[in-house]
Amino acid sequence: MLAIEAKKLTKEFQVYQSRKGLSGAFRDLLNREYRTIRAVNEIDLSIKPGEMVGYIGENGAGKSTTIKMLTGILQPTSGMLKVNGYDPHREREKFVRTIGVVFGQRSQLWWDLAVQESFQLLQKVYRIPHEKYEPHLKRMIDVLNIQELLDQPVRKLSLGQRMRCELATSLIHQPSLLFLDEPTIGLDVLVKEDIRQFLRDINQELNTTVLLTTHDLGDIEALCSRVVMLDKGNIIYDGDMNRLKREWGDGKRIVLETEREYELSELLATTEGLPVEWEKKASHTYEIRVPGDQVQVPEVLGRVIERGIAIQEMQLEEATAEEIVRKIYQEGMTID
Amino acid sequence: MVQFQLLWEYFKQYMKARLEYRWDFISQFFTDLMSQAINLVFILVVFGHTQHLGGWSRYEVIFIYGYFLIPWAVFTSFFNLWGFNDKYIIRGELDRVLTRPVHSLVQVIMESMAPESLMGVLTGSIVMGWAVWHLPLDWAWYDPLLFIMFVLGGVAVYAGIYVALTSISLYSDSKSDIQPIVYNIGTYGRYPVNIYSKIIQFVLTWILPFAFVGFYPASYLLGNGDWKVYAMLTPVIGAVFFSLGLYSWNRGIENYKGAGS
Repeated sequence: MLAIEAKKLTKEFQVYQSRKGLSGAFRDLLNREYRTIRAVNEIDLSIKPGEMVGYIGENGAGKSTTIKMLTGILQPTSGMLKVNGYDPHREREKFVRTIGVVFGQRSQLWWDLAVQESFQLLQKVYRIPHEKYEPHLKRMIDVLNIQELLDQPVRKLSLGQRMRCELATSLIHQPSLLFLDEPTIGLDVLVKEDIRQFLRDINQELNTTVLLTTHDLGDIEALCSRVVMLDKGNIIYDGDMNRLKREWGDGKRIVLETEREYELSELLATTEGLPVEWEKKASHTYEIRVPGDQVQVPEVLGRVIERGIAIQEMQLEEATAEEIVRKIYQEGMTID
Repeated sequence: MVQFQLLWEYFKQYMKARLEYRWDFISQFFTDLMSQAINLVFILVVFGHTQHLGGWSRYEVIFIYGYFLIPWAVFTSFFNLWGFNDKYIIRGELDRVLTRPVHSLVQVIMESMAPESLMGVLTGSIVMGWAVWHLPLDWAWYDPLLFIMFVLGGVAVYAGIYVALTSISLYSDSKSDIQPIVYNIGTYGRYPVNIYSKIIQFVLTWILPFAFVGFYPASYLLGNGDWKVYAMLTPVIGAVFFSLGLYSWNRGIENYKGAGS
């Protein structure tokens, strides 16, 4: 059974259009105009148990709407959707026992309650038997290091502290599928790294399926082997991260710092016949762009050194996922 | 049964969180008490000028008011849905509720209950007791059972109407001002309906049947047979209106558009 299976999944919203000015407001009173917006347009998606999938797209691309359909919050306008074998909206109460949800921007905890009381209440809400609940929760508390936060009300926690508690909350009933909507938003680097490590661990140990939306492609690089990219409600890419990098990453860049200044033509001559580009960055600094697959970095460097170019420092750079995604959105996607 | 256990858990947590804001708790308690006292004084002032109101004596009207306070208190404790639009729709808390395996309305009710209003049951009983002291009433053994049924029916009438009004927010996220209006009409049920015009009587019986919350059952308990049929209809009307409320809520959840991003 697939963890998530969607066919031609679509969500439309009726948006009320207001007219301009006061007189327009009066006309709206009598006769409203509505416009239909397709937030998610016939997407097909299938995710196998144990996969970690990154779901990315610009603001308003339809990410949150998809997640809300997948978690049973919204009813799809049309299309087929099965998550963990359930129809998420129609069989909501049974279905939500099998998933965990973290919305980075919104707490899943009760604002005024201390963390442990939230946990206690959730144990009752999910009807988790005591003998199953205790050891599992204790482990969560240890791994996420939230022992000393337990007696604090949620509203007094810092964002990073809250996020760790949110993760424990979402896993309290040991779901097989975890939805994370911007789980690292606003967190500092160390906390981010902790959370990523934690997610990797639970995925490995419990084979938990994870679907993650994020603006921080570092999350995706660290966690997901597969990315699904959304633009204006359509899936424009669904495949592995490495392929995306290979085809859109524009290859690698070698930054050289030389002992003395060279003429660009001198340098160009060293790599004659190879499809690389040179650029002068500063007086002693040059950049070589090595595209895709046609040529390897060692070959290029070998040539340069062979010709007696005196290199002092060297750096190898690769396009970050961020740059790749920006580029795709700017230029439009042409690969499937 | 599980739901009641859950209600109890929420209740405990609620009281804990609520007691942290001590002054808020106490002031809410006294505000309730004050408004109940003012209503009582109002009745007493009216009877300072007249002996009868639509054929009802002073203590009978006080009895009706005291009775009304009981379903009212239960309703205001458990269906404290005033902030629903702000908290659940605009701030998006409904998303969280919908990812939990309990009926959404049950969760919302549990999260917004105000158990301190249950004190109204006590005040109502005292007011009723005071009236009964001065009235020659003769109750049968089954009257207490009817009383409980009437109270539950009355609560269901209120609950159904307010749940239906609250679920408007699920269809359209704009604020509606209809709630306070209906809330005010709701308090009409605490006086004998035969003092109102025919149209208002009709509205209070069939459209917004608040007369079933206070007057009809209370008049039966006062031994007045004129409205006996209506009194007996209380649980039925309650069931019908509560079902309507629940239906419109469930439809609303299907229509829910989600908050923001």
